[in-house]
Amino acid sequence: MSLYHIAQGIEGSPVGQAIRESTWLFPAIEVIHLLCLAVLGGSVLMTALGIFGVGLKTTSPQQVEVSARPYMTTSLIGILVTGLLLGASEPVKLIDREAFLIKMVSLALALLFTYFVFNPIVRKGEVGVKARTAAGVVMALWFTVAISGRWIGFS
Amino acid sequence: MNGFVNWMAGTPWSIALHESLYMYSITESAHVMAIMLFVGTIMMVDLRLLGVSYRNTPVSEMTNRILPWTVGGFVVLCITGVMLFYAIPIRTWHSIWFRIKFVLLVVGMINITWFTFKVERDKEKWDLGPTPRNARISAGISLFVWTFVIVFGRLIAYNWTDCDQNQSHFIQQIEDCKAVPADT
Repeated sequence: MSLYHIAQGIEGSPVGQAIRESTWLFPAIEVIHLLCLAVLGGSVLMTALGIFGVGLKTTSPQQVEVSARPYMTTSLIGILVTGLLLGASEPVKLIDREAFLIKMVSLALALLFTYFVFNPIVRKGEVGVKARTAAGVVMALWFTVAISGRWIGFS
Repeated sequence: MNGFVNWMAGTPWSIALHESLYMYSITESAHVMAIMLFVGTIMMVDLRLLGVSYRNTPVSEMTNRILPWTVGGFVVLCITGVMLFYAIPIRTWHSIWFRIKFVLLVVGMINITWFTFKVERDKEKWDLGPTPRNARISAGISLFVWTFVIVFGRLIAYNWTDCDQNQSHFIQQIEDCKAVPADT
């Protein structure tokens, strides 16, 4: 079974059909997707700006991360769930698009890097070059996800 | 304003921006990135004012160190927002979603003015303690307004309420469809 057949299967599923045929369902899911992106941006930036020394000062990045964590996790779950639903409505079109491929790869990298590299570094209380590099990488990865995501709509 | 947007739609730069392969997409992407910066940071400040998060961080620290980033995001949003309007002026101006979004933007600006010149004036008194009622009200308004600015802004993109889609009398009234030039 090829990727194309899988995509066809998803597209024909009740969920895919319902979203594609409804006037308001796709826009409504898209709106939630975008709202979650804004919250994710805020939670990542609060910690990253602190590490760069241009955000909160009296509160350490370690403490900021504790406050930002629930928003990061919640918004990521929201992004993934709504993203899956959006993808399910037109997978055949998506699998051929370069922007979609770039987004999926950068999304996987961003998730792995955030949870297995960046967050552990911040939780250890590191603030040196290593932490700054990690913060730069994490921001670059999420920005790539956001830009390539927007680009899916244009391509 | 109807005459103004009709004139705007005929200017060469508006047509060029609308029809350009990359410029329009780049502008819209920049608008989305700036949303992450503006709404993302202002929400965190609001959550502090509501006493929900960052409880050990002084309010003044949040407003002094985070709000400059929020303002930066807002400047980019305004520039790219004007460009997006300029590229598709007639359709955007008549969109019911754009009209609602614009009203909310004005409410958001009034709220920010109220917060800056009145609410936070005596913040040294509650810098670390519980925030007063007005600060919580302002934060609540902010969260509500910016959430729905995103919602209605996103809906501008869909064509189901366009004047040429056979709308109800109510929507035609709000969108002032009679003023849309026949050739658009």
